[in-house]
Amino acid sequence: MIRYLARRARHGLLLLFGVSILLFLLFQAAPGDFLSEMRLNPQISPETVTQLRAQYGLDQPLPVRYWRWIKSSAKGDFGYSFAYDTPAATLLWPRARNTLLLSVPALIISWLIAVPLGVLVAGRKGSWGDRLFSGGTSTLLALPDVLIALLALLIALKTGMFPVGGMTSVGVQDQSMWAWLRDLGWHMLLPVAALVIGSLAIILRHVRASIGEVLESSYMRAAEGHGLPRLKLLFSYALPAAANPLISLFGLSVAVLLSVSLLIEVVMGWPGMGPLLLEAILARDLFVVIGAVMLSTVFLIAGNLLGDILLYAFDPRIRRQA
Amino acid sequence: MTSGNLGLLKLDPLLRVSGFSVEYDAASGAVVRALHNVDLEIGEGESVGVLGESGSGKSSLALALLRLLPGNARVASGTVEYRGRSLADVSPAQLREIRGAEVALISQEPALALNPVLPLRRQLADVLVAHRDLNREAVASRCDEMLRQVGFSDPERIMRAYPHELSGGQRQRVAIAQALICQPKLLIADEPLSALDVATQADILELLARLKRDLGLAMIFITHNSGVLASLTENILIMREGEVYARGDLAKLQNSSDEYVQSILFPEKSLFASSPQSSTNDNPVLVVHGLGKKFIQQRMLSRRKFVVQSLEGVDLELNAGSTVAVIGRSGSGKSTLARCIAGFETPDSGEILLHGQAQTEKLRPSKNGDLRHPVQMIFQDAATSLNPSFTARQIVAEPLEIAHWKSEAERTERALELMEEVGLDPGWASRLAGEFSGGQRQRLALARALAAEPKLLIMDEALSGLDMPLQAQMVRLLIDLQARHGLAYLYISHDLNFVSLFAQEVLVMDAGRIVERTIPTKLGQSAHPATRALLDASERLHAPGVEAAV
Amino acid sequence: MTLTWVGVSDSERRDARSIREGRSSSKDARSPEKAGVGGAVPFKITWAIWFLLTIHVAIVLAGFIAPYNYETQEREHAYAPPTKIHFIDCAGKFHLRAFVYVTKPAENDLNQYQQDCSQPAPIEFFARGDEYSILGFFHSTRHFFGVQSPASLFMIGTDGFGRDLFSRLLYGGQVSLFAGFVAAAFSVVTGLLLGGIAGMYGGRVDDVAMRVAEVFITVPWFYLLIAVRAFLPLQISPVTAFLLVVSVIGLVGWGRPARLVRGVILSARERNFVLAARGFGASNAYLLRRHLMPLTFRVLLTQMAVLIPQFILAEVILSFLGLGIGEPFPSWGNMLANAQQYHVLVSYWWMLLPGLAPVPVFLAYHSLAETLQERTKSNF
Repeated sequence: MIRYLARRARHGLLLLFGVSILLFLLFQAAPGDFLSEMRLNPQISPETVTQLRAQYGLDQPLPVRYWRWIKSSAKGDFGYSFAYDTPAATLLWPRARNTLLLSVPALIISWLIAVPLGVLVAGRKGSWGDRLFSGGTSTLLALPDVLIALLALLIALKTGMFPVGGMTSVGVQDQSMWAWLRDLGWHMLLPVAALVIGSLAIILRHVRASIGEVLESSYMRAAEGHGLPRLKLLFSYALPAAANPLISLFGLSVAVLLSVSLLIEVVMGWPGMGPLLLEAILARDLFVVIGAVMLSTVFLIAGNLLGDILLYAFDPRIRRQA
Repeated sequence: MTSGNLGLLKLDPLLRVSGFSVEYDAASGAVVRALHNVDLEIGEGESVGVLGESGSGKSSLALALLRLLPGNARVASGTVEYRGRSLADVSPAQLREIRGAEVALISQEPALALNPVLPLRRQLADVLVAHRDLNREAVASRCDEMLRQVGFSDPERIMRAYPHELSGGQRQRVAIAQALICQPKLLIADEPLSALDVATQADILELLARLKRDLGLAMIFITHNSGVLASLTENILIMREGEVYARGDLAKLQNSSDEYVQSILFPEKSLFASSPQSSTNDNPVLVVHGLGKKFIQQRMLSRRKFVVQSLEGVDLELNAGSTVAVIGRSGSGKSTLARCIAGFETPDSGEILLHGQAQTEKLRPSKNGDLRHPVQMIFQDAATSLNPSFTARQIVAEPLEIAHWKSEAERTERALELMEEVGLDPGWASRLAGEFSGGQRQRLALARALAAEPKLLIMDEALSGLDMPLQAQMVRLLIDLQARHGLAYLYISHDLNFVSLFAQEVLVMDAGRIVERTIPTKLGQSAHPATRALLDASERLHAPGVEAAV
Repeated sequence: MTLTWVGVSDSERRDARSIREGRSSSKDARSPEKAGVGGAVPFKITWAIWFLLTIHVAIVLAGFIAPYNYETQEREHAYAPPTKIHFIDCAGKFHLRAFVYVTKPAENDLNQYQQDCSQPAPIEFFARGDEYSILGFFHSTRHFFGVQSPASLFMIGTDGFGRDLFSRLLYGGQVSLFAGFVAAAFSVVTGLLLGGIAGMYGGRVDDVAMRVAEVFITVPWFYLLIAVRAFLPLQISPVTAFLLVVSVIGLVGWGRPARLVRGVILSARERNFVLAARGFGASNAYLLRRHLMPLTFRVLLTQMAVLIPQFILAEVILSFLGLGIGEPFPSWGNMLANAQQYHVLVSYWWMLLPGLAPVPVFLAYHSLAETLQERTKSNF
């Protein structure tokens, strides 16, 4: 078990390393940075800019800068935000927490809906319910996530029943813990719903396809031939057998959720990593950009690792290999 | 003559199938008949063996009896009655009660009949719980008892295990235990032996015969191998193209003069019409001398290298019009030998001479119009040896096209000729490879090889993917072609079937060396352990058929 | 013919087993001559292909079909709702020819538009209007339909500058659809090259290429997309922006096709039919041309159908976030960006339509991809 997870974790680390190198290579290719934007400002003298450049180490060659960044990441700083004049991490951590606050509940809800629904529909292949289902998921799949976010915003604005923008209402911090939590939940409701709608279709389709494939296998036919009850066949036999493809999908669903979350945060004004990333781009605050992308990758790898653990728990064949 | 003889005395037989037809909707929209007008009756404790080649509808019959046909199949006419109740009319809940508890099924491929991620305890107990109202202890003790009955001495260990932890034979035993745990009256066994190795087949067969006797089971035993039926039942049903072709007891059918019945009961026998000619040609097509080949394996992320000696000092000589068989276990190096001779691998040492010339020249791109490629290979898996997007004509004409042989029209004409020669309807020239059945695909591969006008055909397990009657047909075709074109065959197999029938010399390989050279008729007296192991494996299974033939 | 018995008994068999396994076996078992003519399964032209063809033609002909230019502003018609098309006039009289009334903002509320019953304007076909060009060489002022000034015809309303949304949607499609298409082609070609090299050479090259591909596949792709965009200049002309967006999307998306191509080549190299062809003396060029290329081509065609909608969406999102194609040139993304303002979102529902425009296109591409996937699968 430990060795198996260690292997997976090592693979994840290597991947992170690759992503960071890629980002730094892009950084190198970038035509301007925060300071070159500053140079356009007539109130700041070119000398100051050059001095700042030296101070931040931007005049150093790429490998040196990369090494410095690694050192700063090891300290937990993830480089330096020029725009806010603070270590990038102080900006990133609260935003990352907020993003997870949306993504994790959405992830759980999506799977809780997708698994039973997908299994039931797969068991009724060819029925009108199945056709309705595939029509529905196709349409949902074709809806741009931006539009879903805008529609959620529209609902909030039109009905006036939901808060618009932000995570909490003004002044709620002064009230009781319970009131604060309720207010937070109220703010989360629409973004999480939009996120679930935006990512549900793809998970549902995969669940149905994976279960459908298992249902055609000869052991399912044999089990049916032994006269096992239908729901038991679907949920106790087909579902565990489909664990492998479903759990590989789990990692993918984390990636989908993070991507969709970025848009929903921007549109609905949720202070997560999405708006931060966008601001950082417009301000050319490149270390923050790198940090945000790295963090999203860390979440993804963590999701994959969680998937590996689940797989280990569910599939005896993996246990033997490991 | 039918199995209903005894059943007539009772009011209702256990199972009565009358006028039963099943159709499939093919992907192309056509309707394909899988079963047509099948009648069958089984009384309590009676058995019937259903024989037929693949595609004869025998497996559809097994599934249709329990209403397990896939969604694109439907019953076109006829009824299946279990104890006088039509199975088509019962509700899903009632059907569930019959399945497993009254009529049980052992499916093909035991490896795939058990759920890979559930412990066997659950898979066994669930069947019992679905049909019987028992408490935990009763369930556990019944499972224990059942597993002992199918021959496990340590049921506890088996119940804790997952399917992948058991051997194929053990898995089939568990599948049988699953089928019998509710004490059904009727067992449908659909090719229960086909995916097992020979020794295990014999064990499972004994087990089934014993259980049938002890439990008074009625049994429908579906197989393509008549040899296994003798110990189970005398009552035989022979199927062909979805219809009952013949029925009666084994002894009577064995004496039947009908060609199809004979080819099903004795696949080998039909070959004797054309016996192999011995060749006294002194000009060898192929001479292999001192062939050696090593493979170096390196594990991922490891610097250690493993050297695998695949061939060592192999000598071989083959004359025109003759056949040499190379037999051996998988991993004995016989496929490497084939690939070296065909030129797909370069040997490390030794030489390969084709008509006295070094073989290395062969794989050069051909010059205009010259299509002679003296060595051709027929692969085991016909499905991957044909490009799925090619039509039959394109496949057969490919060697001609590569060699720029004559004009397009002449190439097409030649391709059609070749298709006819291997027994394929030239009218199918525009069909895609995927639209042919396994046996037909192997014929296409043969036609394509012939287009290159070879002197030597290497058959690497070329018959292994086919069932016995089809194998027999292929062998007959090969013998015919050999006589006509003076072809030399190098027949490579792990299986001794047919070897004795058309090879002049048998070479036994083990661990990269030729360990024995003999002639087929003396193979039986061989003392070499590698040969004996192969012989034992073959004999236990095909005994009746082969003996009758030889 | 001594051999016929072998052939007939084998060939007349209806292989129920292969049908159960989903392979199409003897399609016309009873009429071989028919099969001889028909041969290869013809590609079914589905509704998806017709629809995509139609919409792409319409978008190329945007200048002709759109009643206005994308830049034409009618300032007094800011946020005008869709123009009402009438057959019955204010007096209750029926007209065979559709017409509109001239509209003006109400005096007390600039957001309300009033119809002027005294000024009807019939909808004309091949009406004169703004000058446009199609693909840069065909110039004209005739539009498929339109009304004469002072009346105006806004099929789905106008934006804040009084620009006709319908016309902008058509012009915007040029950007969004073609950005998706070109970017998909770009990443598929990159994938073909890198995956092909990895598959053919193997070893170290393969390792490196596939590791890099994995990096591109793993990172949540909106993040990667935006990050890659982040390192490129922000203030640029529309044409540069288009090229930039296309290359960014293509650059981010090459990983998957590269993996696919590598897989196809690796598996094909081991296929027996490739070995067999080598046995007939086939050259590498022949193998590539007859066996490897067609196989890869089919896989890549499917991959195109999967990638194009994804990349159209990528363009929409980049432009929506202000990182793609900018004003005044329309794209579905930057048109939708206006709907982010709360008052626009609440008051002018038609401003959401640019977000709905990709939906039928996506549906068509998804359906096409599904058809192609089935086909590729059934061929193996």
